[in-house]
Amino acid sequence: MIQKKICMVGVFGTGKTCLVQQFVHSRFSVKYHSTVGVKIDRKVVPVEEGEVTLLLWDLAGRDGHGDITVSYLRGAHGVLYVVDGTRRETFDQVFELRDIVEKAVGPLPSVVALNKSDLSGEWKLGKADEQALTAKSWHHFTTSAKTGTGVEAAFAWIAREAVRQGSAPS
Amino acid sequence: MADDFAPPGRLAGTGEYDPASAEFAELRELLLGGERRQLEELRRRLDSLGITPEELADLLPEAIALRAGRDRQLARALAPTVENAISESVRRNPREIATAIFPVLGPAIRKAIAETMSGLVESINRAVEYSISLRGIGWRIEGWRTGVPYAQIVLRHSLVYRVEQVYLIHAETGLLLGHAAAADLKVADADLISGMLTAIQDFVSDSFAIQEGGELRTFCVGELTVMVERGPQAVIAAVVRGPPPDTLLLQLQDALENLHFQFATGFAEYNGDAAPFAGARSRLEELLVTVLNTDRGQRARGRAVWLRWAVPLLLMVLVVGGLMWRSRQRWSAAVGRLEAAPGIVLVGAERDWGRWKFRGLRDPLAADPAVLLAGLGKDPSRIEGTWETYLSMEPELILARARRTLAAPATVQLSLSGDTLAARGTAPLAWVAASASLGPPPGASHLDLSGVGALLPDELAGLERSIEGNRILFPAGSAALGGGAGDGLRALAATFGGLAAGVAGMGYRVNLELIGRADTTGTESANQTLSRMRVDAVRARLVSLGLPAEGLNATGIGTSQPLPAPDEAERARINRSVSFIVHLQPAARQTNGTR
Repeated sequence: MIQKKICMVGVFGTGKTCLVQQFVHSRFSVKYHSTVGVKIDRKVVPVEEGEVTLLLWDLAGRDGHGDITVSYLRGAHGVLYVVDGTRRETFDQVFELRDIVEKAVGPLPSVVALNKSDLSGEWKLGKADEQALTAKSWHHFTTSAKTGTGVEAAFAWIAREAVRQGSAPS
Repeated sequence: MADDFAPPGRLAGTGEYDPASAEFAELRELLLGGERRQLEELRRRLDSLGITPEELADLLPEAIALRAGRDRQLARALAPTVENAISESVRRNPREIATAIFPVLGPAIRKAIAETMSGLVESINRAVEYSISLRGIGWRIEGWRTGVPYAQIVLRHSLVYRVEQVYLIHAETGLLLGHAAAADLKVADADLISGMLTAIQDFVSDSFAIQEGGELRTFCVGELTVMVERGPQAVIAAVVRGPPPDTLLLQLQDALENLHFQFATGFAEYNGDAAPFAGARSRLEELLVTVLNTDRGQRARGRAVWLRWAVPLLLMVLVVGGLMWRSRQRWSAAVGRLEAAPGIVLVGAERDWGRWKFRGLRDPLAADPAVLLAGLGKDPSRIEGTWETYLSMEPELILARARRTLAAPATVQLSLSGDTLAARGTAPLAWVAASASLGPPPGASHLDLSGVGALLPDELAGLERSIEGNRILFPAGSAALGGGAGDGLRALAATFGGLAAGVAGMGYRVNLELIGRADTTGTESANQTLSRMRVDAVRARLVSLGLPAEGLNATGIGTSQPLPAPDEAERARINRSVSFIVHLQPAARQTNGTR
């Protein structure tokens, strides 16, 4: 079976771990656990070519001015960036993160999850922001790790892209 | 170039033969022949532009030696061809190969058998050691206490090291390419472990800012050691229980090199699909080894082996010895009992595979051998007896037989003295009479019934008491029978007749003892005489009344043995008398039973 390494990247507290938990185990906890280093999880996802095992590397969130640990990104087949829709600065920083990632491991299939869509009252992002992503040809999904909205779709998309990229002639 | 020289023996341009030119050609050959041939050889080689078989033949041995010294690629490349060649050769003519390898095969087979046997002995030794030693018992208790199977406890305690898992991990992505685990181990998340091993490597490298080429190679978790060997394309990681030896690292490196070579294409085209690496699994499985502590010193082990055997052997000897001793004790006891038993003559006794067989003579009245041997703890069904009947002359048996033939009542004790059987106690008169008529039982010559008190039937006993209750009284100093005495004596005579008739039916007759007395008045001799006169008077009267004179024994005893009375006058009165004692006697002339 084909395996793909997918890295979860984002500022701390954007809900990377929660997205993985929702996707892999279909559960959500309101308790916040800061990830130290990296956590790895696995889920088999159906794609057109059959099935693919996603090894989800849940990287510790970027904290303040510290950079993410780029060595964990080595060999990744795709990156899922996570933005907290209720914290505007996390959206701004996702572009910096993308630069860091691409500088370290080159361009990769990637997708942005605009997370915490269940907190619609506190939502800080607008159409312009989504257009900014599209302008940079960056695919995005609005997700909620709490309700599960958009979670499957975001992971399915990155899985498909990772497989497609891997089978493309290099 | 081909036209630089004309053919030898011909003039250039004319084509005619010129003797001088032949000389020229010869000269030319002498001067330039060597160079010319070299030139032609060079031209030929330039034309062919490849290596000739001749050249290859010259270079091949050197080339093979050179490459074989450098690495193992040549061997790997040649391996399939050589294998094919051998199998083809075997297919065509097996005899050829068999003959060729025969000198090698024989010793190899012998060695293999010897090693297998030694391994078998070793494993038996270990099994004996583990199952009987204190340590083995301790392990069993541990297994029982913890619920862990005994085999695993043994493994845990006797384990030197064991390679439990081997991972082949793609170096760049950390994805799992292949995994092998010990058969009894269940590893569900090999791909996660593979990822985490990679992440840990990255973490350590980042945290300690290690230079290129330095990385985490070994770490320990409890009893487990994880050894990691990194190659350009893949990482091999082994999970080892117990302290791994240095050679294991070399094995891992060797395996990793082989895998890099074998799957060079697979690594180049890797896109997350582990399928091309399926063949790596067998190579990884080769690395799964279990090493137990059998490497103790040969000498020490030799001694230990004897010790290990000695303990159970000693136990066995003790048990068998104990059983044999007990069996022997039982046997001697059984023989002793039978020999001691009266009425049993043991002629033959043998033991045969746990069966006891006895032969001999037995009196029907002797104790039952089965009962005699009952208390020895021997299964009665395994005891056989063949007994011939005989009459025993042993005193116990004579007595038993006498009791049976005489039908002696419980109140009679029998005893044997010499050849005379004596009876004592009390018994009905009829029994005494019957026994007297039966005579002595087998084994005795005489029957002495004198010690048996014969008991009369009730009605006759009443008559006897009536007779003995009579007392004929006399006035002081007189031996004359008064008128009243005459009546009393008549009644007594009648009673006597009844009693005599009664016992006559049982073969007895009655004797009557008459005892005359006197009171203490007067001299002793006078009293003696008086008493004699009194008793004679009574006897005479009884004879005159029809009683047989020979059955009446009269004795005057004077004042000796006076009849007791509470006062002097009464004593004097009752002792001026004649009293009676009844004696029974067998009517026939036989050993007498008296009373």
